[in-house]
Amino acid sequence: MSKGDKILDVKNISMQFNSKGVCVRAVTDVSFPVYEGETIGIVGESGCGKTTLGRCIVRAYEPTAGCVEYTASDGLLLDFLKIDKQTMKKYRKEIQMIFQDPYSSLDPRMTVLDIIKEPILANYPKMPKAEVERRVMDIAAKVGLNTTYLKRYPHAFSGGQRQRIGIARALVLNPRVIVCDEAVSALDVSIQAQVINLLHDLQQEFGLTYLFISHDLSVVEYISDKVGVMYLGKMVEFAPTKKLFEHPMHPYTESLLSAVPVADPTVQMERIPLEGEIPNPANPPSGCYFHTRCRFCTEKCKAEAPAYVELEPEHFVACHRAEELKLRGFSYE
Amino acid sequence: MNDTIIEIKDLKINIKIDEGTLTAVRGVDFEIKKGETLGLVGESGCGKSLTSKAILGINDKKCKAEGEIIFDADNLGKVNLLSLNPRGKEIRSVRGKQISMIFQEPMVAFSPMYTIGNQINEATLLHITKDKKKAKEISLEVMRKVGIANAEKRYDQYPHEFSGGMLQRALIAMALVCNPKLLIADEPTTALDVTIQAQILELMKELQKDFGMSILFITHDLGTVAKMCDRVAVMYLGRIVESAPAVEIYKNPQHPYTQGLIGSVHKIGTKNQDRLFSIEGTVPLALNLPAGCGFYDRCHKRIEGVCNVYDPSLVDVGDDHKIACFACTGCPNAKEGQGHE
Amino acid sequence: MALFKKKVARDESYYLASQWTLMWRKLKKHKLAKFSLAVLAVLYITALFADFFAPYGLEEFSSLYKNTAPTKVYWQDEEGNFSRPYVHKLKKINDKKTWTVIVTEDTSEKYYIDFFVEGIEYKLLGFIPCNTHLYGLVNEQGEVDRSARINIFGADSTGACIFSRILFGGRVSLTIPFVSAAISFVLGILLGGISGYFGGIVDNIIQRIIEVLSAIPSIPLWMALSAAIPPGISVSAMYLYITIILSFIGWTGLARVVRGKFISLRKEDFVMAAKLAGVSDFKIIVKHLVPGFLSYLIVNLTLGIPGSILGETSMSYLGLGMKAPATSWGVLLKETEDLVSVAQCPWKMIPLIFVVITVLAFNFLGDGLRDAADPYK
Repeated sequence: MSKGDKILDVKNISMQFNSKGVCVRAVTDVSFPVYEGETIGIVGESGCGKTTLGRCIVRAYEPTAGCVEYTASDGLLLDFLKIDKQTMKKYRKEIQMIFQDPYSSLDPRMTVLDIIKEPILANYPKMPKAEVERRVMDIAAKVGLNTTYLKRYPHAFSGGQRQRIGIARALVLNPRVIVCDEAVSALDVSIQAQVINLLHDLQQEFGLTYLFISHDLSVVEYISDKVGVMYLGKMVEFAPTKKLFEHPMHPYTESLLSAVPVADPTVQMERIPLEGEIPNPANPPSGCYFHTRCRFCTEKCKAEAPAYVELEPEHFVACHRAEELKLRGFSYE
Repeated sequence: MNDTIIEIKDLKINIKIDEGTLTAVRGVDFEIKKGETLGLVGESGCGKSLTSKAILGINDKKCKAEGEIIFDADNLGKVNLLSLNPRGKEIRSVRGKQISMIFQEPMVAFSPMYTIGNQINEATLLHITKDKKKAKEISLEVMRKVGIANAEKRYDQYPHEFSGGMLQRALIAMALVCNPKLLIADEPTTALDVTIQAQILELMKELQKDFGMSILFITHDLGTVAKMCDRVAVMYLGRIVESAPAVEIYKNPQHPYTQGLIGSVHKIGTKNQDRLFSIEGTVPLALNLPAGCGFYDRCHKRIEGVCNVYDPSLVDVGDDHKIACFACTGCPNAKEGQGHE
Repeated sequence: MALFKKKVARDESYYLASQWTLMWRKLKKHKLAKFSLAVLAVLYITALFADFFAPYGLEEFSSLYKNTAPTKVYWQDEEGNFSRPYVHKLKKINDKKTWTVIVTEDTSEKYYIDFFVEGIEYKLLGFIPCNTHLYGLVNEQGEVDRSARINIFGADSTGACIFSRILFGGRVSLTIPFVSAAISFVLGILLGGISGYFGGIVDNIIQRIIEVLSAIPSIPLWMALSAAIPPGISVSAMYLYITIILSFIGWTGLARVVRGKFISLRKEDFVMAAKLAGVSDFKIIVKHLVPGFLSYLIVNLTLGIPGSILGETSMSYLGLGMKAPATSWGVLLKETEDLVSVAQCPWKMIPLIFVVITVLAFNFLGDGLRDAADPYK
């Protein structure tokens, strides 16, 4: 895959939810760069803030702090989170999203044609009808939908096909960045493979940049160029996929990797157990958020939050002891 | 064989729906031996959950099960569970005591109105002892066994005070409290995070050693199957298409569907493949199925004139490896006699 | 089992079916709802064409027939042979023993029941002059004779045919709920929508108003409101006032439904997808949110109609609503206020049967609609 220029620079994003006096920090100070044409995988367990992060980046939520520097198609550098409504209209379509649930993400009351058409009509109200129709047909064929079925309603389609409709809707505006929020998690294994292959092909064809949010590490390992690991709203490690899976530098990543069930009964990896339970994000621990469950915990970890630094080229990690620890990952063939 | 705990013979489940009768399970045969874990693998809609619920007789009223489920019960000897009255005394002495079940969603499996201890006790009081004090002791012991720290305190807590993983442990405790001979685990870790999933799977393995029970492990996740099971049966469209020892099935999958399933899961550490193997199309509906093999439309090895005419049955190819596929078991013409149904 | 249901292979028309087609298909499977729909259709058609179906107009009454029982219909002549159904007219006679006037049948003449006979002039649908009635009486010569009457449900204290009055009363009793539902509908969508969309303090105020309104017992509220109706106004103005009073309470429930649906739909992924695609807020409301809760709204309206019917009936019964000379089912039932009239003229209770049937039919229909409201589950 050809790597282009930096397309997104996510800088210090934080998101707090206040409800009934309790302030929950869903995302705290997350930064990472995204280059054009690559796929960034974001992994973590439920409640780690990966979905919130994705929604902040597409500006479905307004983050409490931070910025997303976006190099637009016309070369302008803008902060995607700060631009005003007028400018937003122009650039909104360049960053799109694919949702997890293929059922709730399509309005059951609209035909597939109308669903895919909607973004075009909203952005190009003056486009002639024939042209709109042609674009819808084009994209539907690209994602592998039978174009004779476009007059049908979503209930006529299976989960996998619905997800294709969702992909078509996201792609119809020719976006440059797509946030895939657990895009294949709700699908059956064999259908998952179909959709992953489709996403891969579309990336090749359109030079798309993906932000692939998932809890499934093997899918993320397959599709991503770089992977970020989140724990309790913080990015604890961010590195090129192979580096991260082969030589993790954060103890949490190590435990996470060791827990992945491998579809091969002859491989019996020894699991590195995590002690205790995930702390309440409304009341996170002091110092390093992971110290309560870390087997390498020191006094310093309890007192002081580690900085998120680039220890090796392109390998970011937030751990006091990252340099001294020798952690285990997967062995690549 | 004497060490067979349960044997299922030609199980068929029909569901009545508005459009007609849907044959969701179309003749399933398998057996589970003592202390063994059988993995029942398949995608949604293949009938794996219905099969497991049929064993307990807890399927919907619209589902009609035919065939035989022969269970080696302590009190009744070898008995066909399907022939028992589904609300009778006999099945109740089996259900919950000798066969118990863990469900996918621990949050739904517990009633939010009662304490965890109360709910674990329920089975004990029903099957083992009428003495409440004794029941509590038994419950506490099992809770400790499944790794619930601080069991005395946890005993009086309500489900909402438990995390997902802890709740799944409590659910396992509830299933194990009567020391069952067979544990049915229906996607027990699907709703959990990987690290917790790994903990639960390890726990189940340990407990299996302690209690010496057999497990029917139902899942769509080939990774957990590899970790858990001794033997694997792959289901497709209400049929078992292949069954073999776990190592064998991953090393040497024969049925095109099994091959497709294994091929479509990416294995970490093998970044050389460019595309994932995927099975074309989607699972058809078990309503007015055409003649022949159910996988015919999606199969890459299909033989026209054979696979769409005759229905393959499970054939033993040696080493406990059974396959229902003409393309694998060779010489389809020899099967002509038994193909028709 | 839902899993299997969802995937059932169906023909192309099912795949192309919109929400409303799906709802209709589901409703058709609900036998009781279908039957109720037919019953309601009959009731509304007879009310609409009441002039035709009723043998007598509202002004046609005969003091001779005051409080008389349903007219007896004979199927046999004196010799016991079957004949065309006929009736006798009534006559007054003096009872020589008690010296009271009693009304009895005059068996000297037969009046045959005939269909499509001429009767009082009326304007069908308000503009087509017509004088044909569904049924009426003709004498032995085959001429229309207005001196004999057939009151199949008996007559009231003025001597008017109760059946005719029920049909005419249906015009008021059956349409008031619809008009008030329409008003509730508009108020409900508007206020519920505002409440759900803006949230915050506006939401709070509207919700508190709803709570206060629904805390007031309905009958005292009606009494208070109808006290505000100026006396001596025309029937049509009265009609308007009553509908407004009824919808005054009806909208609160609807507004709550709208608000709840609004909030839950706003969180759906497809709404977020539309937002990300740059669709304007207004378009999202019109294209995604409103169609999303419209079906629920209709269900709620249908289930609310019986309340309005009963409301109108009880208001009129209490003398707070429609008053004679206007005719509504409540007005008709007002005649059954005292025990004596119920005991002596039990047929005056017949309008009550109509009220019950209508209310039941709406409830069954609403039940069916509720099951059909979300065809995607």
